[in-house]
Amino acid sequence: MPVYVLGISALYHDAAAVILCDGVIIGAAQEERFSRLKHDASLPIRAAAWCLKKAGITAADLTYLVFYEKPLRKFERILATSVATFPKSWGAFPRQMRTWLGDKLWLRGTLCAAFGVRPDRVLFCEHHLSHAASAFYASPHTEAAVLAVDGVGEWATTTLWRGSGTSLTPISEVRFPHSLGMLYSTITAHLGFAVNEGEYKVMGMAAYGQPRFRAELDRLLKLDPSGGYALDLDYFSFHWHPTRSGTPALEALLGPGRFPGAPFTPEGGAAGGAARAESQRWADLAASAQAQIEDAMLHLVRHAKAAVGTDALCLAGGVALNSVANRRIAQEGPFAHLWVQPAAGDAGGAMGAAMWVWHAVLGHPRQPGLARADLGRSIPVDRAREMLTDLGAKFEAVDDPPASAAADLADGKVIGWVEGGDEWGPRALGHRSILADPRSAETKEHVNSRVKYRELFRPFAPSVTAADADSWFDIPAAAQEPACWMLTTAAVRPEKQATIPAVVHVDGSARVQVVRPTASPVFHQLVSEFGRLTGVPIVLNTSFNLKGEPMVSCTVDAMASFVRSGLDVMYVDGLRVERPK
Amino acid sequence: MGHLRRAYLGTMSEVAWRLPGWPQRLLTEFSLAERGSMVDMLAAAQATPRREMRRKYFLHALDEGRHAGIFAERVKALSGGRVARSDAVIEDAGLLQDHGIVGGKTLFERLGELEFLAFVFVAEADAVEQFGVYLDRKLPDPETTAALRDILKDESFHVSYSKLECERYRREGKPVDAALRAVRWRRMKEGWMRFTRDFGEWASGFWLLLLYFGAVGPFRLIARLESGGWRSASGASAVARNGLDEALAAARLES
Repeated sequence: MPVYVLGISALYHDAAAVILCDGVIIGAAQEERFSRLKHDASLPIRAAAWCLKKAGITAADLTYLVFYEKPLRKFERILATSVATFPKSWGAFPRQMRTWLGDKLWLRGTLCAAFGVRPDRVLFCEHHLSHAASAFYASPHTEAAVLAVDGVGEWATTTLWRGSGTSLTPISEVRFPHSLGMLYSTITAHLGFAVNEGEYKVMGMAAYGQPRFRAELDRLLKLDPSGGYALDLDYFSFHWHPTRSGTPALEALLGPGRFPGAPFTPEGGAAGGAARAESQRWADLAASAQAQIEDAMLHLVRHAKAAVGTDALCLAGGVALNSVANRRIAQEGPFAHLWVQPAAGDAGGAMGAAMWVWHAVLGHPRQPGLARADLGRSIPVDRAREMLTDLGAKFEAVDDPPASAAADLADGKVIGWVEGGDEWGPRALGHRSILADPRSAETKEHVNSRVKYRELFRPFAPSVTAADADSWFDIPAAAQEPACWMLTTAAVRPEKQATIPAVVHVDGSARVQVVRPTASPVFHQLVSEFGRLTGVPIVLNTSFNLKGEPMVSCTVDAMASFVRSGLDVMYVDGLRVERPK
Repeated sequence: MGHLRRAYLGTMSEVAWRLPGWPQRLLTEFSLAERGSMVDMLAAAQATPRREMRRKYFLHALDEGRHAGIFAERVKALSGGRVARSDAVIEDAGLLQDHGIVGGKTLFERLGELEFLAFVFVAEADAVEQFGVYLDRKLPDPETTAALRDILKDESFHVSYSKLECERYRREGKPVDAALRAVRWRRMKEGWMRFTRDFGEWASGFWLLLLYFGAVGPFRLIARLESGGWRSASGASAVARNGLDEALAAARLES
């Protein structure tokens, strides 16, 4: 009788469901791809239903359902923090209590009702243990230091573990409200971006600036000699204010924040001197925050090496999605191997919780590491054909989709590319991607402004075949694995930068994806074919979505994004769809 | 009933379009509602068993997406580029509040085709009436007036096509009038539920605030925030337990 474990993450952000059968991942999906609500936090009922369908079972067949947090311990933290920050927390307290007393405190019953499982089959895994497990058990390493860094789980905001075989042993932790994730999110909000959404925009903005606010930011965060850190809480209000994360003292220290949507024009353009100076100030602030988080992560990583001493480091939590910091960890850190799983944020907690049940609770041996990211919903070609016909799309079946797409790209077309299952995690890795020719400088502006309708400063990633990666990019030796999931940046070799201007960021770096034939065979064929046609084995790759929307998943979503964007052509598996007139 | 509603909308219009900051708030709500409708219509296009309806729902969804964009642009224009920081999610992530997924089921899945069409007809007719009242009252901002006129044309078309489809169902002998009644009743019920929820939130907020100052406050004397820096991991993780049975027992705990 096979053992089925369903992992669930939800109720904060990025809800997801993952199903394991005898320890093997059968499917993994984020609720946002079904509900079309970006970062959807609601219980992943649709994602879970898809997982069960993929496994060919019903909820009654589940051996265990595991939630990625311990809700009562989280409630304890919220209550204790409210008391400790009395009376400043008067605005947050009623809101939090209403949510918890009305809903989250009764989670076991809610899970049973929503997913149709018996109460004795519902398990709970600590938030940071879920993160740590998602990184360690999905990695190829059997001995590793495991570092989880995020906003907050129950109490912990940063945890260090020793991973050995199937055991994960906690070593030390930093507790809320001291949190690197919350620090970065506070700066994200100060720069006018949405928390839990705009952090990677800060990372992109940082390349335009110089870290001239570093001294000011160092007043917010103190790194201690024992390898830990502490925030100066006078500057933060995320632990007691219902909506604001920084205090007036922060504004006094860093200057006024940016209004959401305010034009960012550090390189001039139509903006006048004052606007340009203000943009430059934001960029410098972003650069300072980025430099600070990188230094803090290096500080933690060095402590991890001293405490655990392994060759490999598995990194998890939302901060592990900071690809620029990952590059510095790989380049300057003491570990020979770095591993970050594609959904390092909260969605990944669903996978970690399920894997933890299989290995640590049920005592089963390790499985091979995660080799592919296309773990989500795929589109049966007959269904795609029927949908496209009904929608009035003009399309044709092509014999060799990668070759046809590569020819379109070489012809200067910007294409939507839907192939196989949805990607697991926030990065488009060649299954739900917008692709373009990286050889023209205009491509970047065109795709940002006319295709995705987003900020012009946002960089694009290059996808390069594994065989050619080293000749174009200087990828740190320790970051070879994260590069497969687009979770590190790399310097573009100086002599190559002029050849691929659309994917070279202003600082000469790129958030590169190394495409292995084993991980994404069809996408690898496409990039290879583009290389054969043009001599450049690299394509510009960005997620197939429009601003503010999750990545497309099914044919209807793809078609809706296609017609609303400036894409020239779309491929849905073997079908080539023309742009409607 | 119709007169009452129009009078109510007219009065609200006088308030909503003339007080500082309120037009932005109203337009933001419209934008979010249209985004939610787009999601609902795309889900309907995906799920409908009637293939001839798929394109209609799809085109309707595209209209709603366009309207959401127009409203969002007006919010930005009226805010003079100074969108509140707490509204960064609207600028950034298009926060949805009004999409119809409840308990994992889309609006279409919950209602079925006939009642969904009846819902579209009733909701769009209400929107036409609402926008008509706003236009009659002469909005203070000509650009928003033009945008509303543009959107009103689309909404009128949505009323016509959904009405035609309902009529087709009627000719097939389906209980269209019952579906329309059910939709109107549900909208009234949902309106009442929203009101009671808001009132409940206000009332519970009041009592929780009393609790906060009366019962929570005194414990402040003994409560401290955690200090920074590394500390020994205190998590009662099951991996640290002896034996698998104990690990399983620990995993069952919510704390």
